[in-house]
Amino acid sequence: MSVIDQLTGELSRLPGIGPKTALRLVHYLMKGSKGDTRRLSRTIAQLAERIRPCRVCGNFSEDELCQVCSDPRRDRSTICVVEEAYEVGSIERTGQYRGLFHVLGGRLSPLDGVGPAELNMDGLLERVQRSSGEIGEVILATNASVEGEATAVYLEHEIRPLGPRVTRLARGIPVGGDLEYIDGNTIAQALAGRREMES
Amino acid sequence: MRLSGLTLRHFRNLGSQDLEFPPEGIALIGDNAQGKSNFLEAIYYLETFRSFRGARDEQLVGFNSELFRVTGTMQATDEECGTEVVAAAFERNGKRKKVSVNGEEPERLGDALGRLAAVVFSPRDTQLVSGGPKKRRRFLDIVLSLSQPGYLAAIQEYRRILQQRNVSLKTGQPPSVVMAWDSGLIKSGASVTRARRDWIDLRCEAFRDYYARISDGVSARITYAPSLSLTGAASEGGIAEAFRDALAVTAERERRVGATVVGPHRDEVQLQLDNGGSTLDLRQYGSGGQRRTAALALRLVEAKSIRESRRKQPLILLDDVFAEFDSGRSERVLELMETEETGQVVLTAPREEHVRIHSDSLPRWRITAGVVAT
Repeated sequence: MSVIDQLTGELSRLPGIGPKTALRLVHYLMKGSKGDTRRLSRTIAQLAERIRPCRVCGNFSEDELCQVCSDPRRDRSTICVVEEAYEVGSIERTGQYRGLFHVLGGRLSPLDGVGPAELNMDGLLERVQRSSGEIGEVILATNASVEGEATAVYLEHEIRPLGPRVTRLARGIPVGGDLEYIDGNTIAQALAGRREMES
Repeated sequence: MRLSGLTLRHFRNLGSQDLEFPPEGIALIGDNAQGKSNFLEAIYYLETFRSFRGARDEQLVGFNSELFRVTGTMQATDEECGTEVVAAAFERNGKRKKVSVNGEEPERLGDALGRLAAVVFSPRDTQLVSGGPKKRRRFLDIVLSLSQPGYLAAIQEYRRILQQRNVSLKTGQPPSVVMAWDSGLIKSGASVTRARRDWIDLRCEAFRDYYARISDGVSARITYAPSLSLTGAASEGGIAEAFRDALAVTAERERRVGATVVGPHRDEVQLQLDNGGSTLDLRQYGSGGQRRTAALALRLVEAKSIRESRRKQPLILLDDVFAEFDSGRSERVLELMETEETGQVVLTAPREEHVRIHSDSLPRWRITAGVVAT
């Protein structure tokens, strides 16, 4: 197999990239400067060597502790629990959250053979226990899917006896959303979770 | 709504043809195995994007073809509303289904369901009565998915959670893991149960009425026999409570059998004859004629439900249904259709004599080896 075929094959395994796009990328790299291509390949290699899960929360990290866990300005009384490490970025980008994170590495799904033992759940319970009351709130930010919901329910039952408040992300109308285009199920949830106006 | 145009491409043996429908409908005459049922199957595909005969999509692609496409043009009966074009295609190789409404793909397939508002009457319908409870649950699920907003989402969610919960039971997960699925199961299950109960409560009179009119006065009834005990559980919250209690009671048994043993996936719909004070279960003891009558009454109820909850006059697809009734019954069915089903009719029959609906006024089309001659 030629290098071209090999790289095309490797690239087409990436999400959102089919064989055609992969070939286009390979052509692009062949035409570009050798320096650029070497730098790209070095960076990808570094990704494999340097990135590891944070010892405390499971987030992507280049050090033993991730940037959030090692930041002294973060609020240590709140933990936000997400399914995947890339979801930490989604919440960070809001700029509204100052607490810590915990990455589960997936969600409960017996159909796929994923139970509590396959997820980073013990680590979370240990963190709550060891904080001896410092952690006052755990926010369950698992997805609003059937599996994400079951994962949240499971964690709620495990965490609540340990003391902290357990909260769940609200569900409903997206910001800027137009009622006309929102599916009925979401509107029903938003209706059920409506709040008193406080303007 | 009425069907004004139908374009067929490689659907079963029907080949490629473009047809224009008259407002009153048509009668399709043809010998057996020429494609009469396939024709109705193609039309009804635009309602549910599935074969009403339970065939897989792969089986619907014609021989030597890679894909089929069916396109229907619907004309609103109210002139001002204009037309709507629903198209469905399936590619055998990629196993890809593509559906569009007025050229646009909906975000979810569910959003395009039920545009046609059609009901199929088929000789296979007796299975609704004589078959297992699953057949009757499926009937309810289709009718409710098409008429009640939110039902499809609830039943899909319920099935998914049930699957997950059953695997955790089967693989012997600790109770804390099994219970993680309970609140979702209860919420979606209560919503499904309530919708099914309310529909049967609302429609049982119509069923009794239709059955009596077809059978010349015999009294029959449809009853919901839910897996959950609903005594005193009127609201959805009440049903949810009953579900929670039932799960607690069956906890040990479901661990033993490795599956969830209560819930709407175990519901039954009973069809019974009032037999001078006692009742007779049509599924077990009904005669062929009684079962056919009950099945037909169910379909008429389905059509009525479309008229009332979707405010559309349904397109009636009749797959050679008069053939098996005795003359008295088929006379009365015909009469009933004339008064209740005033919309468009597409009827198939092997011979002309069987075409008497709409005062015998339906234009005749003929079908030979999948080719329709208008």
